[in-house]
Amino acid sequence: MPLNLHTFPQAVLHVDGDCFFASCEVASRPELKGKPVITGLERGIVSSLTYEAKARGVRRAMSLREVKKICPDAVFLPSDYETYSLYSLRMFSIVRRFTPDVEEYSIDECFADLSGLQRPLNMSYEQMAEKIKASLDSELGFTFSVGLAPTKVLAKIGSKWKKPSGLTIIPGTDIHLYLNQLGVDKVWGIGPQTTAYLNKYGIRTALQFAEKDLEWIRANLTKPHQEIWQELRGEMVYKIDPGKKNTYQSISKTKTFTPPSNDREYVFSQLSKNVENSCIKLRRYQLAAKKVFFFLKTQDFRYQGYEFKLIRPTDNPIEIIKMIDKYFSSVFTVGSLFRATGLVLMDLSENTSRQADLFNEVVTAEKIAKIFGSVDGIAQRYGKHTLFLGSSFSAMNRAQHEGNRQTPAERKEDLFKGESARKRLAIPYLGGVG
Amino acid sequence: MLEKYKKQILRFYRRNRRMPNYAEVMTLLGFKSKNAVFKLVNKLKEENFLSKDAKGRLIPKNLYGELRVLGQVEAGFPSPAEEELADTMSLDDFLIKNKEATYMLKVSGESMKDAGILPGDMVLVDRSLTPLDGNIVIAEVDNQWTIKYLRKDKQGVYLEPANKKFSNIYPKEELKIAAVVKAVIRKY
Repeated sequence: MPLNLHTFPQAVLHVDGDCFFASCEVASRPELKGKPVITGLERGIVSSLTYEAKARGVRRAMSLREVKKICPDAVFLPSDYETYSLYSLRMFSIVRRFTPDVEEYSIDECFADLSGLQRPLNMSYEQMAEKIKASLDSELGFTFSVGLAPTKVLAKIGSKWKKPSGLTIIPGTDIHLYLNQLGVDKVWGIGPQTTAYLNKYGIRTALQFAEKDLEWIRANLTKPHQEIWQELRGEMVYKIDPGKKNTYQSISKTKTFTPPSNDREYVFSQLSKNVENSCIKLRRYQLAAKKVFFFLKTQDFRYQGYEFKLIRPTDNPIEIIKMIDKYFSSVFTVGSLFRATGLVLMDLSENTSRQADLFNEVVTAEKIAKIFGSVDGIAQRYGKHTLFLGSSFSAMNRAQHEGNRQTPAERKEDLFKGESARKRLAIPYLGGVG
Repeated sequence: MLEKYKKQILRFYRRNRRMPNYAEVMTLLGFKSKNAVFKLVNKLKEENFLSKDAKGRLIPKNLYGELRVLGQVEAGFPSPAEEELADTMSLDDFLIKNKEATYMLKVSGESMKDAGILPGDMVLVDRSLTPLDGNIVIAEVDNQWTIKYLRKDKQGVYLEPANKKFSNIYPKEELKIAAVVKAVIRKY
């Protein structure tokens, strides 16, 4: 029996780039077509991979060494986030040609609300979905998987249904036909714990879950799962959030470096660089952090960290670095080798006027804020890290990685006259042409 | 009515060289309550006639009306800003029509020399356009990009270089055209 009597009470689209990072690379280099291509060289692990690599048994997060064993002809590329971001923005803009209600869910995914647009666009929802997919595929040069359904949860099931290059349309009246073939653990938002719990009641498919009655759901599940239940039945709970992502719960930056080091000053400078990067992000979103957690990762993958609170919320790297310096010795053990540093900024609040304090530190802080305003301005004009703190010097003046892991992305090497290592044209580069 | 109020406020301003307070506006315009003044002030604020300072006191804004009106000359010419430049476009707009479908490549060979496309040049291409006979296109041949003229004859489509030293390329199977060249940029 259908779960919903209407085809599209709301029309939600989910767009998902097929192996996005790897596809961006293949789209600009025809010689890579049909080859097992993998990105993530600088991290030493698989970050994104083409279907050809998947077919050979390569999986995400596999180490370079493992990949070489099972797929010796794999093409390993350094990540080029600048190019991926350019493609990502284009993906959002193309969907926005059809509707302003686009939620940028992640770099390679977005939701769009198409409800009520049939008449102004003179198209059915199915035609809109088809046209959006066709524009994405042809203008970006690689394929996207698209799902159209009455709710976000169902649209996401749709875009996953057939990959790559799928277009799956799930009208409310057909929901049951899809959910019947889907394990409840495959539903967005249902984790292993909930799956195990639902299994105890004999619920294995998403349909069995969606068919439970309201009373049972209320009695046995928490609110987020009740909402998923509603969404699965074609009743919209999760709205499309068209705002640009401008709130963060926390900001974190982790950076691996090779070779691993036991040089206190160098490891500290790596951490300092992370602090600077996090603060750039804080300032971009006009936030200030109150709590800081920093950690070091040793060569044998153990973490050593320390958490502290600041006197007042700040976006100033100098204040944070000063505090880290105080506690650094308790984390840094002489003799061990470190391979990564990381930083998490928490308790974020809007960066508004600061409260006055007894020692007039606010005035100094305001002066420093002015300085970093200029630092950001200079970065905008001449590239990130044109100016940086002395404490980051060693990290900034050495390549982040040794050996082939430090191979920079092709785009950073092959420049046009007038471009620099720090500033390039914001148009995706397709390489050389003879 | 509003115009009359504006005139009276303006007269007050001229005479006293300051804006009236709410009580003064009340007597000036014959209002019965400060609430009425408040409503009028909001309306005038919307019209950009006046404004309020941090304490809510009135301050003058465009008491004498908008000065920079298109086509109207008051005390000399308006600065040649926005209106005159409304019909101009940026170099970006000039070169790029469909932003989302525009890509760049770097020319490496001399096969298009006679078309004025030289090694090192940047070409801007559009992936959304349908390639037409005579267009300069980016095609995929033997897993490489190549830039050539697209030509059509009775036998079908082929690629033609703009350099006598190179020969035409006749596709064995389907010819894959990735994009149409829209501009060539050379920076000195």
